[in-house]
Amino acid sequence: MIETLILFIGASLLLYVVLGGSDYGAGILELLPAGKQREAQKHVINDAMGPVWEANHMWLILVVVILFMGFPPIFTTLMTALHFPMLALLAGIVVRGAAFTFRHYDAVQEARTQRIYTWLFGLSSLWTALWLGIIVASLNRGIIDPTAGNFWSAYVAPWWGLYPLTVGVFVATIFLFLACVYLIGETTDAALQRRFARHAATANALLIIAGAGVFAASLGERRSLPQEFLHDPRLIATIALATVLLVPLWRFINRRKRTATRVIAASQATLILAGWYLLYAPNALITASGPLSFYTAAAPPATLRQLVLALLIGSAFIFPSLLYLLRVFKLHRR
Amino acid sequence: MAFSLGFHIIFAAIGMVMPFFMCTAHWLYLKKGDERYLALTRMWMKGVAIFFAVGAVSGTVLSFELGLLWPGFMRHAGAIIGMPFSWEGTAFFLEAIAIGLFLYGWKRMNRWVHWTTGLVVGISGFVSGIFVVAANAWMNSPAGFTWDGRAAYGVDPVRAMFNDAWLHQSLHMQLGALQAVGFAVGGIHGFLYLRGRSPELNLKALKIAMAFGAAAAIVQPFAGHFAGQKVAQLQPAKLAAMEGHFETGPRAPLYIGGIPNVEKRTMEWGIPLPGMLSFVAHDDVNAVVTGLDKFPRSDWPPVVIVHVAFQIMVGLGTAMALLGVLYFWFLKRGDFPRWFLWALVIFIPLGAVAIEAGWVVTEVGRQPWIIYGIMRTKDAVTPVPGMVYHFYLFLALYLALAAASVWLLRRQIEIAQKTSEG
Repeated sequence: MIETLILFIGASLLLYVVLGGSDYGAGILELLPAGKQREAQKHVINDAMGPVWEANHMWLILVVVILFMGFPPIFTTLMTALHFPMLALLAGIVVRGAAFTFRHYDAVQEARTQRIYTWLFGLSSLWTALWLGIIVASLNRGIIDPTAGNFWSAYVAPWWGLYPLTVGVFVATIFLFLACVYLIGETTDAALQRRFARHAATANALLIIAGAGVFAASLGERRSLPQEFLHDPRLIATIALATVLLVPLWRFINRRKRTATRVIAASQATLILAGWYLLYAPNALITASGPLSFYTAAAPPATLRQLVLALLIGSAFIFPSLLYLLRVFKLHRR
Repeated sequence: MAFSLGFHIIFAAIGMVMPFFMCTAHWLYLKKGDERYLALTRMWMKGVAIFFAVGAVSGTVLSFELGLLWPGFMRHAGAIIGMPFSWEGTAFFLEAIAIGLFLYGWKRMNRWVHWTTGLVVGISGFVSGIFVVAANAWMNSPAGFTWDGRAAYGVDPVRAMFNDAWLHQSLHMQLGALQAVGFAVGGIHGFLYLRGRSPELNLKALKIAMAFGAAAAIVQPFAGHFAGQKVAQLQPAKLAAMEGHFETGPRAPLYIGGIPNVEKRTMEWGIPLPGMLSFVAHDDVNAVVTGLDKFPRSDWPPVVIVHVAFQIMVGLGTAMALLGVLYFWFLKRGDFPRWFLWALVIFIPLGAVAIEAGWVVTEVGRQPWIIYGIMRTKDAVTPVPGMVYHFYLFLALYLALAAASVWLLRRQIEIAQKTSEG
């Protein structure tokens, strides 16, 4: 029962990172200078995201719902200790969704308001991605302390520091990378494809620098990443495999192989996420007083049964309709 | 949180009901081939898109806020009452997929399949609404667990979801959403019609919206009565506060208007209808109705707020029911007098006011409890200090969003009217 739920959480997070992450990355991409290609780029992003972004966003809500129904102690601990990053995240999500929708549906398409929407959409995408990374980094630092008496150690220390910030930057670069790879296949305009490929290369370089930054910053943490990696060869394997996959990825990008590039980029994201979870599996959180595991924090069995039932029945509806959505908008494009 | 909910309830109501208008217009277009119905469908579709997006993000905020603001509540309640939320999440997911298909699917799929995706948006939104209200109903009528004062045992999420209050609350809320949005949309098109802006299009729009709004408004008093009887049985303190009923006794009077004087425990200025409260609550003019005197003073909800909010809701509801009857009468006659259309214009914001008032009744009327009879609100609230900043942050954010949505909608309507005239 609990395994099924962990699997659902993992799958939802993964889908959120791969699908939703590309949407974030698209926003970040729009912040970069684009010159004459700005309008064309905006149209490609509108068409690529418009039909799917709401559905992509649902994966996050699914994770929240599973946590609060299936694992209330984890949910409440997170929401208390990480209160401020969660607020920042929410503000970002609200502004982002609104700006994107408004940009598309504003009946009067004038340059000035369009620029404001784009700017808001891009900035809030970057902002939200940063906080998402900060939150993820805070889960296993061992600083979250539900018994802390003072404001700083209860509500700020868990997410404060260079390390969470570098993870935030790392997440933002992953999103940007995923978006560029994805968008190449969303247009037939060769000049735009070149632009996306060029930015994918930049994002790739940034990704490696940010990844190294995460390693370096983790040296100041209670358990540094190099230490962890030496202990667990599985971690080395995931990161090594993700890196090696860059070689075929770039070959396929250069040949504009749409499906192959997407599959590889998504696998890389999966590997990074899997490696991340291996750091503290099967725990959900590492708090100052020890790990909080999915197994000890689970709701009563009757609740878990209902939750799994809801998820399975829900999947029976959601997956076919999601496939239909993709078939209508993504496969029949060419 | 209260503010986020107060905001979300309106956006969600619009997002839940508008798709049905859109689908009706779309269906009429597909059946009759009248281009004006197509113009209407596309116009409403843009409204749906904006309100769905804002409703979706404000809903996300709420799902987080449950934990951000009420960790004490969620720690115990999550496992018990998570079920409607998990189903709501599923319905909402389907809605998000369907809306993507509908908005962008013109000319990409079979037109009837396309129409169906629009209907799925409406149905799944409506069903999500029922689930969310069921979760709220559980706070009024907790079920599906045993409580030993510190923790819950024997959790049964199915019983928790289908608690004693879910049916009357969701019936009342969903009808309220239909009538409020029906009147608001009908009123807007009525106004445009009165101004002579593409009269035929706007009259068609008014008829579609009011068909839903007026029908719901006429049924609502019965649903409200059913809800009142349930409240009398499940939460007598709330009913007593709603009616400003201080002393337990038979032949309880029903007051029209009036301000309860909590110090003197009397009603001031109200018009009493002897025995009517007993009749309304228990179908018998001589029945005993529990008053606030049966509860310790510390367990009283804020009586004045609850009573006034209740009067506002009932007053507006009654007026809307009358207008609903008049609407069908004028429809049959085939002609709407101008004063009637102006009355609809006045009611553009009033349905939303009635929803907010009703929500105040159910939430404030439950105080000082967050889970009725089990957990007090003060024990559930987050220990994080500085909550007032949280309030300001979201107040600013939501005011900006509301202002932006209204502004966008006005631009929308102006442009749409210009193109259909030109």
